Amino acid sequence: MISRPTGLNLSFLTLIGWALFLGVLTGRAELMVVAVPLVVALAAGRRAKAPTAAWQISRQVSADRLVEGERVSVTVTLRATEPLALVELLQPLPPQVWPERGRNHAFFSLGPGQEVRWTFELAYAGRQRLRLADLHLRLWEPLGLAAAETRHHEAHSEVAVYPQVAPLRRPPRPLRTQTFVGNHVSPAQGEGLEPGDVRLFAPGDQVRHVNWRATLRLGALHVTRHHQERNADVVLLLDTLADVGPAGASTIDRAVRGAASLAAAYLARRDRVGLIEYGGILRQVRPGAGRAQWERLLDTLARASVVFTYVTRDLEMIPPRVLPPQALVLALSPLLDGRFVRAAANLAARGFDLVLIAVSPVAAGRALVRGGPVADVAARLWALEHRAYLDDLRRDGLTVVDWDGVEPLEAALARWHRPRLRRAHA
Amino acid sequence: MTLRLAAVALMAILAGLPLSILPSLGALAALALVVGGAGAIAASVPLATAGGALALIEYALALVVAGPDPDPVTGTAVAVGLVLLLASIHFASLTQGAAVGYPVIRSQARHWLSIVALGVVGAAVFTLGGEALALALRGAALPLVVAASAVGALMTVAGVIALVTAPRRDA
Repeated sequence: MISRPTGLNLSFLTLIGWALFLGVLTGRAELMVVAVPLVVALAAGRRAKAPTAAWQISRQVSADRLVEGERVSVTVTLRATEPLALVELLQPLPPQVWPERGRNHAFFSLGPGQEVRWTFELAYAGRQRLRLADLHLRLWEPLGLAAAETRHHEAHSEVAVYPQVAPLRRPPRPLRTQTFVGNHVSPAQGEGLEPGDVRLFAPGDQVRHVNWRATLRLGALHVTRHHQERNADVVLLLDTLADVGPAGASTIDRAVRGAASLAAAYLARRDRVGLIEYGGILRQVRPGAGRAQWERLLDTLARASVVFTYVTRDLEMIPPRVLPPQALVLALSPLLDGRFVRAAANLAARGFDLVLIAVSPVAAGRALVRGGPVADVAARLWALEHRAYLDDLRRDGLTVVDWDGVEPLEAALARWHRPRLRRAHA
Repeated sequence: MTLRLAAVALMAILAGLPLSILPSLGALAALALVVGGAGAIAASVPLATAGGALALIEYALALVVAGPDPDPVTGTAVAVGLVLLLASIHFASLTQGAAVGYPVIRSQARHWLSIVALGVVGAAVFTLGGEALALALRGAALPLVVAASAVGALMTVAGVIALVTAPRRDA
């Protein structure tokens, strides 16, 4: 650790110089006397040594995983083995993180063997991977004429802030189901609870399936068939080509919250859920089920951000194990970049069961602009234009759900109803 | 904020002290107070240094124009004020927006006062040494005194510069 002189030395030297110059110029001894305490202070400051390894420091973070809105506490413990006249501690904060309670910059004065605990609470804008930088520690000479600086590295310095999840009772029903047992009524007939077609009795049919009412009416034994209950593959397609809105409430933040809510709802129904982040970086999570998959999805969603690119990603390059042909594709997008709309339309044209959840950029964009009649009119025009664009997409055959990102996703989905299919497709 | 107000008060004393010798220096005192006070409020060490330099010029003018008897006590008081002014404003600029407890301020005040006490002792030794030297050199030729003073001043300046600029490796 190297102790370096600070700018205050120049101030002292300036005043000493003035005192000596004026003393010589005027021939007054008092001005020479003025220089003496200044020189003594300068010399005393330069003689002060910065103690080396005279402290033990540690930093604890209250949690390594949080949900948006929760606060994280950082506790720094500093223990001095030698006297520390003035210690400055600074915890640099990443962008979009600010101290909610306490300060991230503090000064302490410690005697030998003394310990101090410094706690502050951090707030942040939206989901992210919050990386706390190394703690800066600076030892000051009491007068401020010299300082020695070092950094303290702590291994556990990352906090994952996951998006908020809103409960969804009725997520969009998939058209096609998979082979494993689940909660969706499959168009295919077999063992299940949901009654299906009625047909003539055939050898091998169980007596408990006999439909007595149809048998009496038609004069021959009839049985009721049932729909199988199967799981489904759901792929969330997240548009990260463009973003608008303030940090923590941007269109991507809202889309990520919607995606997390949908993932939670489908995973709770034992479906397999995957994720494709369609942006500058094409991140993929293969469809899967269970707790581990939930963690995987949250980790990927927490990282989702705009990475600018001119390249148009081709979804045909995505392997079927990531985008199964029978999957329900839920695309979440503010529809600000035509490349995403073309990719979604391409998927629908290839026969994918695609639902486009359009996260309106109008409310998010309006939050960035100050109030005023011009801004209000512009926002209304933008909203009209957005609505017309959605109507165009619907006319082109896409299934579009309009969501402003503020109201619960459940309410937006409730306005759109998918009819239950009774006939088997294959 | 308390520290800054204390620095403003200190600056007022520094600017007001020469007025007790020569009251007609009010304009210069006001200028020193404005510049130094702005430095104290803004926690700007360069501005405070400028204010301190103006106070020194005002003090020198007062001494030259009024021509009072030599008074090392006032000179020491001005020096103590300047040391405390720079230290307090530098500390205020450091701690802007930071959490600072009263133990830290107490500890700092203790350190500053000890350094100031050391400075006062140094000024007293300098004054007494000057008196002794004046007695010893009474009757000596003027060129000899001037040459000895010039060498002494040069060595002092060289020593201070070497002390300040040399990087020290503690570990």
